[in-house]
Amino acid sequence: MRFLGWFKYRSPFGIAFMFQRITGLILVFYLCLHLAFLTSLQERELYEHFTSITVSKQFFIFDSLLILCGVFHGLNGIRIIIHEFGYAHEHRKAILVIFAVLILFAWLYGSYIMYMALGD
Amino acid sequence: MKFRIRRFDEKRGSYWQSFEVPVTTAMTVLDGLFYIRENLDSSLAFRASCRMGICGSCAVKINGRPRLACETQVSKFREVKIEPLDNFAVIKDLVTEFEGFFAKHKKVKPYLINPKADYENPVEQIQTPEGLKVYYDFSLCIKCGACHSVCPAAATLEGYLSPAALVSAYRFNADSRDHGKEERLKIVSAADGVWRCHSAMECSEVCPKQIEPAKAIQLLRVATLR
Repeated sequence: MRFLGWFKYRSPFGIAFMFQRITGLILVFYLCLHLAFLTSLQERELYEHFTSITVSKQFFIFDSLLILCGVFHGLNGIRIIIHEFGYAHEHRKAILVIFAVLILFAWLYGSYIMYMALGD
Repeated sequence: MKFRIRRFDEKRGSYWQSFEVPVTTAMTVLDGLFYIRENLDSSLAFRASCRMGICGSCAVKINGRPRLACETQVSKFREVKIEPLDNFAVIKDLVTEFEGFFAKHKKVKPYLINPKADYENPVEQIQTPEGLKVYYDFSLCIKCGACHSVCPAAATLEGYLSPAALVSAYRFNADSRDHGKEERLKIVSAADGVWRCHSAMECSEVCPKQIEPAKAIQLLRVATLR
């Protein structure tokens, strides 16, 4: 179980690393589930019936969590790319805080847009 | 003050033991360990040498974070919890196996390579202060193993070169007097080298000398791509 070594760190950078891994796995799992679900809906009535269930306010919490996973993975990935080019290592704490705020804002904004799009 | 120590020996395996240590002014964790060995339990094994943050041999996990025992004041804590470094095999108590760690360090050729140098008749190899500044911070590594103990790549891949070895590789590659850049880049860009780093940056967070191993690794990556 050597991969458990990914999950035993304690600084905010270690936590960001850990969530980068977890959200990556969730997104891959979701993508597979999403493709399998959509390809199983070959008939129009069936498609509309199931999407009326999943695209609803009852399922909104899962959509919001998915947005959080996507936003975290994407923005934290950009933070890592900046450092991987050898830039701003001395300012990594400030950059981590800036990206944490950006992630929070993008998640709340994305969730708001999605909630409004669901209608009544 | 209570010292809780995760001890290990081959017969009993791993176990926790507590000691009550009287605290004195400016007492370090290493002072506490010496007190225990001299007054409470002479079988306690730990490494120490310089007692002033130069040799790196007293690095242990103190309250969940790798630190140098000789530089850590006990007054920072209510209770001191000491464990051997992660990602190293434990030999006894707080003493861990460092052979592999030093072998990795040796692998990156941590010395100046200059085919023209005549070591029988040595001459001074001159360098400007600006030339020194390029790598000076990275030359401060004391090989304590703290970076290796928190590295997720080292935790999941035994052969990974480790942040300390890669810091050394960068330090010599950035030295204007060195001519072994290509040799070292070949070594560090192999399967167990710089590309195994996940940029978790824990190494930079725990380094007791505040050098930036994560930065050295990324700069080596950039150099290998050029």
